[in-house]
Amino acid sequence: MKNNYMKPLRKALLVAFYFISISTNFSQTLNWHNLENRKHVLHGEFGLDFSVSYGLGYSRQLKTKIPFVLNGFFYKPAGEIVFDDFKTKIGGQALWLNQQSWKGSVGIHGIYRKNTNDFVTLQNFGSETSATFGYYKNGWFLAGEVGFDKAIVTHFNHSNEYKEGVYENVKDGWYEPATGGNLQYGFQAGISFQPIDFTIKIGKVISQDFKTKPTLPFYLGLGLNCSL
Amino acid sequence: MSKFFILFLSISCVLACTDDREILEPGNLVPKTVMEDPTISSITINGAKLHAQAFGPENGTLIIVLHGGPGAYFQYLLNVSSLANKGYRVVFYDQIGSGLSQRFPYAYYSKFGKDAVDKVFYDELNGVIKYFKKRIDQKVVLLGDSWGGIMAAGFVGKYPNAVDGIIVGEPGGLTWADISEYITESQAFKFFGETLNDVTFADQFITAKNDEHEVLDYKFGLISAKNNIVGERVPDIGNLKVHYRNGRVGSVIQSAMFELGEKYNIDFSEGLDQFQNKTLYIYSSENTVHNDEWAKKISSSFKNKEIFKVQGVGHSGYFDQQKTWKIITEPKVLEFLKSI
Repeated sequence: MKNNYMKPLRKALLVAFYFISISTNFSQTLNWHNLENRKHVLHGEFGLDFSVSYGLGYSRQLKTKIPFVLNGFFYKPAGEIVFDDFKTKIGGQALWLNQQSWKGSVGIHGIYRKNTNDFVTLQNFGSETSATFGYYKNGWFLAGEVGFDKAIVTHFNHSNEYKEGVYENVKDGWYEPATGGNLQYGFQAGISFQPIDFTIKIGKVISQDFKTKPTLPFYLGLGLNCSL
Repeated sequence: MSKFFILFLSISCVLACTDDREILEPGNLVPKTVMEDPTISSITINGAKLHAQAFGPENGTLIIVLHGGPGAYFQYLLNVSSLANKGYRVVFYDQIGSGLSQRFPYAYYSKFGKDAVDKVFYDELNGVIKYFKKRIDQKVVLLGDSWGGIMAAGFVGKYPNAVDGIIVGEPGGLTWADISEYITESQAFKFFGETLNDVTFADQFITAKNDEHEVLDYKFGLISAKNNIVGERVPDIGNLKVHYRNGRVGSVIQSAMFELGEKYNIDFSEGLDQFQNKTLYIYSSENTVHNDEWAKKISSSFKNKEIFKVQGVGHSGYFDQQKTWKIITEPKVLEFLKSI
């Protein structure tokens, strides 16, 4: 009987973790050196992030002792069908090391994403924790980055095509513990022509067992930031 | 703040109070194999438990059906079971690590190195023939589709006197170079297309270790959608599905054999010139990659052959489309079987 109560409780905590990560906030490619007088930053991105994807985002710098940025992003993979697949991230980044040119930041984001194909619709709540450390100047920056993306709890809803053509007794519903996780590591860089930044990030992706690789084992992002 | 807290608590509770499931639990996302479900018909060959079914009189000419893949399952070929009504003994089995047969880790296959196909598939096929052959003079014919056709060619190249004839449906190639070219041409995904990005995007949601077959097979199954380039359609086997209700692909066997094939440049045409018995080479009109020119090239390795083009269907359609099988393919196959 104990397990019958433990499972919903554990999931409540997992779901709570997602919302807490939104409400407390904590990576986007930012030139921290130029951020001092900027309150709003708009982001546009194109690249490879588990797919060919496009992204839009917004960051707002808060008036805090430690430089702190709240941000939200929307990513959509390429494809003929609009809005059947997407990823949203809400969270923030804090500058934990803030010397003249050497700077380090940490970020945490709550993720909600959806993937639909002929057989199943997947909806997932996850989290992304990340850290960057690099050299930042007024006109450019170069930093190393590492991030861990965890698919905490995922809902599976299978189509009739799967049920009739593949497996009639498939179990729909919420699946946990975590159904996936990937570690990303690489570099990010940018050049700044205020109020515009051109950014690039590139790196590798490996699954959470540190052995298997996803179908697209690397990421690449070309970005444009516009400060307001 | 209190409103947000109530909203947060409500959503958390709603999500928390639904039934939750574990992704590795057998039977949740993909059907159980013969190892978890004892009600599935099986045979044990060389220590591996295989899902197998046989139709027709035990003493009839043996037709051993070889499915595609590697890693697919025999359900889509069940139309061929109608040969049982003509007195043939038709045997279907899911190859090792495929369909509902027993799963093995990657290392089980890779330990055989360049002999993997021989030790894994040919030894298994010899075992299946031995299991079902009831008379010493009982004729044996292999009927293989796609990868099954490649496997049939490789087998008779190694054991030219083991069978009395082979029927092959669109083997993509017999040399590794031809197989690679065929695969590349037939799976030309669009970079910005829905299909490719659906596949890669899903890697954020589900990841698996090398031995987590339930998850690996499920993910591989999501990729294995129909392919318009080779003219594939959803199989039509009518009410024969009662014999094989739920399917499951084998991810580990598929990736292991492709990696080993590429590493050792496996040549399935080796020794084929020693096979003097008849070959019926079938291909389809709607497969734009396995076209007339490709059929001529690949079939040139078979010495004693008849080439038969089936109109109106694509890859596998000559077997898995019930109407086409009944009207076009089966009469030709029966004519071939009577000639051996």
